[in-house]
Amino acid sequence: MDLLSNLAMGFGVASTPANLAFCLIGVLLGTLIGVLPGIGATATIAMLLPITFQLEPVSSLIMLAGIYYGAQYGGSTTAILINMPGESSSAVTAIDGYQMARKGRAGIALATAAIGSFFAGTVATLLVAIFAPPLTTIALKFGAAEYFSLMVLGLIMAVALAHGSVLKALAMMVLGLLLGMVGTDIYTGTPRFTLGITAYADGLNFVALAVGLFGIAEILRNLETEHTREVMVKSIQRLMPNRQEFREMAAPIMRGTVVGSVLGILPGGGAILASFASYTMEKKLSRTPEEFGHGAIAGVAGPESANNAGAQTSFIPLLTLGIPANPVMALMIGAMIIQGIVPGPNVVVDQPMLFWGIIASMWIGNLMLIVLNLPLVGLWVKLLSVPYYVLFPIIMAMCAIGVYSVDNNTFDLYAVAFFGLLGYVLSKLRCEPAPLLLGFVLGPLLEENLRRAMILSRGDATTFLTRPISAGLLLAALAVLVLVFLPQIRSRRDEVFTESDG
Amino acid sequence: MTPFLNRLLLGTAMVAGLAGAAAAQFPERAVTLVIPFAAGGSTDVVGRIVADKMSTHLGEQVIVQNVGGAGGSLGATQVAQAEADGYTILMGTVATHALNPLILTQKPYDPVADFAPVSLLVLVPNVLAVNPELGVDTVQELIDLAGTEPLAYASSGNGTPLHLSGELFKSMAGIDLTHIPYQGSGPALTDVLGNQVPIIFDNLPSASGHITSGSLKALGVTTAERAPSFPDVPTIAETLPGYETYSWNALFAPAGTPPEVIAALNEAALAAMADPEVIARMEEFSATIVASSAEELGTHVTAEMAKWEPVVTDAQVRMD
Repeated sequence: MDLLSNLAMGFGVASTPANLAFCLIGVLLGTLIGVLPGIGATATIAMLLPITFQLEPVSSLIMLAGIYYGAQYGGSTTAILINMPGESSSAVTAIDGYQMARKGRAGIALATAAIGSFFAGTVATLLVAIFAPPLTTIALKFGAAEYFSLMVLGLIMAVALAHGSVLKALAMMVLGLLLGMVGTDIYTGTPRFTLGITAYADGLNFVALAVGLFGIAEILRNLETEHTREVMVKSIQRLMPNRQEFREMAAPIMRGTVVGSVLGILPGGGAILASFASYTMEKKLSRTPEEFGHGAIAGVAGPESANNAGAQTSFIPLLTLGIPANPVMALMIGAMIIQGIVPGPNVVVDQPMLFWGIIASMWIGNLMLIVLNLPLVGLWVKLLSVPYYVLFPIIMAMCAIGVYSVDNNTFDLYAVAFFGLLGYVLSKLRCEPAPLLLGFVLGPLLEENLRRAMILSRGDATTFLTRPISAGLLLAALAVLVLVFLPQIRSRRDEVFTESDG
Repeated sequence: MTPFLNRLLLGTAMVAGLAGAAAAQFPERAVTLVIPFAAGGSTDVVGRIVADKMSTHLGEQVIVQNVGGAGGSLGATQVAQAEADGYTILMGTVATHALNPLILTQKPYDPVADFAPVSLLVLVPNVLAVNPELGVDTVQELIDLAGTEPLAYASSGNGTPLHLSGELFKSMAGIDLTHIPYQGSGPALTDVLGNQVPIIFDNLPSASGHITSGSLKALGVTTAERAPSFPDVPTIAETLPGYETYSWNALFAPAGTPPEVIAALNEAALAAMADPEVIARMEEFSATIVASSAEELGTHVTAEMAKWEPVVTDAQVRMD
């Protein structure tokens, strides 16, 4: 009954008029920046951090959290309507969501995303409340060896999941790994591939790379073929899914919620990995895998639930251990420290109002999002039906401001331009940027953890196999690899992709 | 009061007013405080708290700008090259003004020649802590254990004050520990909490929550005196006399900034540090307020460089 009284206290804190207002501001702002490609939650929270200094700690964290999960909702809207993921975690949603939109089922796709997100958000919020303290012990069992094996699994899944040829996907992933090498080697302090530019000593900026590859490249592509924009939805005919559609989305939403909740807890994993993992899983489990890439409802329901669940459960390590699972959580820690709260196990004990208030606000925020978003879809669509010559310069400017605001580094803007061009060239060559992005994110972690595991085991490579969790993850990776190259599946996979390429 | 005295007083007041006006010419617009690390870290927190109060005192906004990267070198370089008018100032640290200049083989700036010191604001203690499962309770027990079996310690990265605190500890204790660098305190703490690595050198503020909860055992603080927030934790110096390291935060302006501008900034910084709210925040944060004069900061930088040079040389920490 402790849980109930705690939750009651949390709702009491979160439903004061002021906190409701901050929650609303947060989710609205989050949806807005989620809808606008290029400018992400990280940049927005970083920009708002100074303002939170003036607010009550609970209010500021409620608002910042609202921005974060609001962005997950908004990001999927653009992914579905214009094939331009507003947030990197909704990149997967774009694959099938956009196809649904092209077939006139945009409303259904949006509703699926919203329902999936809401369900996942509700479940994940409950999970945070119930399991926050015990669940962190899972995360703590992960040492360098386990992380390494997890990355291996992640990268192999990225290749298995990629559209089109395995070779191209592999090449993109390796390119991503190489780009991830740029910067100072953390073990020896030697700069690598920095071309003598000190601004690159800490590596290429992730936001710059993502904005360039996905945002700018997409704009260039769209400018080339302006007519394809007519495909984009002008009006949403039907929002409410019918019984059949509900049945189709139910299981993927459940599975996506589970996958997302688990991956969200793991530091470094989070929403992006969760949506990728869920998509692969749905495709593998589907009785009609050939529909994927052509507007499969499961391809929207699964990943959308997964990324929202992941976004929510990534608060678990933050609230209980004071450890950030991703850059946004790192900023949340900053927001807590500014308020004089030391993030860590003590938050639950010393600041129960804050802890349970945030948890309750997550559910309220999710409710606000579903209530606001479905009726407001029209408004967001209008935002997107602004003519290109108005929209593109605004997006470009937003991208530039967003990227610059992360580190105040001009080189990041050159990087945006460069990766924008690269992304355009890659799309011409039919190379998908998604594995590149994953390689870029996971590569440095892969290397760091490989070397750390080796240092800790004093050069004994069997450490990866003698630790049970690590061995299990490597086995799973092997299984995925075998599945991909199994002649039977391989031919079917090729078939699927030839179709979708046509 | 005689008319003469009246006029005299009025005259004095006018002169004082004029002098006041001259000093009040700075600042005429917002001052940018460059924080050479990402938002959310301990330097960022100190910077934002101080900037807020300095704004009140200066009557112009002090805007915080995070220019992270290259262990603080990027932000420091930016201020070193900024116009020497006091409108761009730096929140310097032990990293930007003692360690980096010693470690980097290519030196992007000179910590002494390129900067005009403003004020040493706070000292932040570091702490040597272990996972409770390691089964040691004192610094001496740790040293003894390290003599019998190989141990590793985690730090927030290569060449950081925490890494060098560890290296200084090794050399003074005459033991060997394998250094495991991480990308910042957060991930290093995770692995020590999960007992992947048994020992950590960390900033006291970021480790304090785990120490109070008992998930980490603090063996010793690195300052010469015990930290007021943890009076029960001994100093490392109680076992290894003479051991002393700490992180610090100080304001710097570019070299050549007019003395009256430095004076105005120093005055605002001292006023900020005397604010009861700032005092309370710093106490929660386990930071000791110094609020020095500009000259004292100059001496401090020279002393810190002299102290760290042999440690950096011994540990052979070098970065290109």
